[in-house]
Amino acid sequence: MTLRKSMAALLLASAFALVAAEAHAEKVFKRANDLSYGGKESLDPISPNRFYEVNDMVYSRLVRQDDKGEPSPELAVSWTPNETATEWVLKLQDGVKFHDGSAFDAADVKYTLERIKDPALESPLASVLDFIDRVDVVDPATAKIVLSKPHSGLPLLLMDYRVRMIPEGAGAEIAKTGIGTGPFKVESYDPEGQTVLVANETYWEGKPKLDKVTFTAIPDSEARNQAMLGGQLNYNTLTLDQVPQYKDNPKFVVQDFPAGGWFGLVFRADTAPFTDPRIRKAMRIPVDRAEMVKLMVGEGNGVVGCDQPVKANDPFRAELDCPPDPEGAKKLLAEAGYPDGIDIEVHTADLEPGMVQFAEVYQQQVAKAGIRVKLTLAPSDGYWDDVWMKVPVAMTSWSARPADQILNEAYRTGSSWNESYYSNPAYDQILDKARASLDINEARKLYQEAQRVLFEEGATFIPYQQNGLRVLTADVSGIKPLDEDFIRWHLVDMAGE
Amino acid sequence: MFRLIVGRAASSVVTLVLISLVVFIGLELMPGDACTAYLGRDGKGAVLDSCRERMGLNRPASERFLEWGGKTLSGDLGTSMQRDRPITEIVGWRLRNTLVLSAVAALAGIPLAILLGVMAGLRRDGPLDLFISSTAIVAMTIPEFISATLLILIFAVSLGWTAGVVTIGYKAPILDLVAVSVLPAATLTLILAAHIMRMVRSSVIDVLESDYVLMARLKGVPWRQIVWRHVLPNSLLPAISVIGLTIAWLLGGVVIVESVFNYPGLGRLAVDAVGDRDLPLVQAIALLFGIIYVITNLAADLIALLLNPRLRTYRT
Repeated sequence: MTLRKSMAALLLASAFALVAAEAHAEKVFKRANDLSYGGKESLDPISPNRFYEVNDMVYSRLVRQDDKGEPSPELAVSWTPNETATEWVLKLQDGVKFHDGSAFDAADVKYTLERIKDPALESPLASVLDFIDRVDVVDPATAKIVLSKPHSGLPLLLMDYRVRMIPEGAGAEIAKTGIGTGPFKVESYDPEGQTVLVANETYWEGKPKLDKVTFTAIPDSEARNQAMLGGQLNYNTLTLDQVPQYKDNPKFVVQDFPAGGWFGLVFRADTAPFTDPRIRKAMRIPVDRAEMVKLMVGEGNGVVGCDQPVKANDPFRAELDCPPDPEGAKKLLAEAGYPDGIDIEVHTADLEPGMVQFAEVYQQQVAKAGIRVKLTLAPSDGYWDDVWMKVPVAMTSWSARPADQILNEAYRTGSSWNESYYSNPAYDQILDKARASLDINEARKLYQEAQRVLFEEGATFIPYQQNGLRVLTADVSGIKPLDEDFIRWHLVDMAGE
Repeated sequence: MFRLIVGRAASSVVTLVLISLVVFIGLELMPGDACTAYLGRDGKGAVLDSCRERMGLNRPASERFLEWGGKTLSGDLGTSMQRDRPITEIVGWRLRNTLVLSAVAALAGIPLAILLGVMAGLRRDGPLDLFISSTAIVAMTIPEFISATLLILIFAVSLGWTAGVVTIGYKAPILDLVAVSVLPAATLTLILAAHIMRMVRSSVIDVLESDYVLMARLKGVPWRQIVWRHVLPNSLLPAISVIGLTIAWLLGGVVIVESVFNYPGLGRLAVDAVGDRDLPLVQAIALLFGIIYVITNLAADLIALLLNPRLRTYRT
């Protein structure tokens, strides 16, 4: 080889190296999806099979929560109710564009919100937002939401992770296109293989720091864990038993955050002896809840609560105190006609990890108050059909919901998920008043009052809310230890090589 | 000879009918039905009725079995409840992927096993034999999910030589699948090779002790010629049926290996389908596994028949 030739070759090689280095600098954030809808994961944000991990990144809400869980502006810059909280005027963010280049305006708000009611879509949001009657377009930058009954908590419900804006008339194809106003655009969509998102260069809050986000379908939790350990992912959710594999490893950061899912024990308030509120309370107060957190999920991985279905960073959570009180329980039982203690049968099933242990720990905890628990392990198959809401005492499991939603959905007289058949007109009135109250502090007091009522005489035992767990590779920044729908994805970054 | 083949094929068909009957009855015996299993907490009232109507669950079981059987024969496996698509379409790609993985494992494992088995058998009780045999026992006894996890930890997490978990979709080109199937195939190969190797070793030892080998040695036939002409052909014959059985096992073993490695094949689909409580899909996959098992065994029988004249003249 002549000198010239080898010089040329050298130059060429270094040019390639440069190009390679350039390509290498592209920031690709790798995640996994667990295929829980078996490939029917839909980019339609209101679908029962919503692909929420992706939807969080490609769409925007009108209102989002700040780090404390309070409503803060996203596509709506302000929201103002009339005196009776039956009409809300929303001012919209200026200059926001959808991924297809069209402008976002009030007509899109009207279309998106009214579409939720379409019965053919079977959206789980339909019942949550059923009090929205219609949306009027005042001008392109102003939308008026008209309610069928007063609701002061509208901004909180608009924070729901599924209420995401889509272009007017896009309903038929939105499940495939994913055209929103969010920081990332859908490049390719394959829930059973790989879904690729690219940065939306014209995102209204500024260009995202990541170039690409990929989602790979990995249904098996252990396989996701191996992929994370092997550096094939940057972000993954964890189960408790997986945490030790990451602790003390400088390549990873483990975060736990208030997530709000809970196990509970439901006593049917329409069935003797639990028709007596004293007995219902006696079933709940002997338990050392802090001890239960330690035993069930480990200290620091759960937030103690006093039978409240409301999660720790919900703005409407009540601060209650409920130290273990076996003596008080004994007294209540004696007053109610059980001076020698009481026998109850608790049904549980091995549906989710911890569901059986929960009942076992409860059994030990209440023994000191003279409550003798007989545990019955029901088959997991058909548990929700044949056992839950059928037998007098059964285990339940819920994921987090906003205060207004859960307090109504599961405890209001006659609501379809009222698992304890609890019925208290005074409680229902508090909720009505809370919805109609215009002042957020006033509403807060009422929702907190409702939780106090549930602790005093409710029929569901909820000792703690479990924290969520995630692991990130150490080069990732911009993700705070908060639930997924708090994350501002355009601020998330990865350190270069 | 011809009658023998027809007889084997006919008994395979009977086996398949029995398998489909067992699969069907098994699912019928479960509490509830496909709709209550799938809908879970929502399986009430009108939703449940319309699901049963759609799935034709209101008709007697015998009628549904005949219909299912008839449709299966015509290549229609029904519709998946969760995926809402024809099952043949879902299963087709996965079946291809599983066959690719099994082929890689078999092509690597079978020659390796035969080589090691012959080496161990010829040097019976020597240090090489002891080493190979004890390694094989270890490989056989470690469950797949442990060896799979260990392989990932060593080669993907610690050494970083290869990707641990498969991240490509089920429609990926075959060559891409081959490239990512190194670790999953290695896991399968470990067990597969160990089984076949032990079979080959003991049959080599049997043949070495046979009268005709002794005769050949007494006549002064060179050692190399004894091995190639007498020992190898005669010791590999019994191994063929074991290879057939092991390949059939391989297709079952993929269930665990595919899940651990996230390999997009039939085994992982089976786990997903059970998780989704998608009974029509579970039923179809169970039947497919049955068909594969029967076909592989039939093929092994026929090959053995072809290679071994003694079996052919045997009269039934």
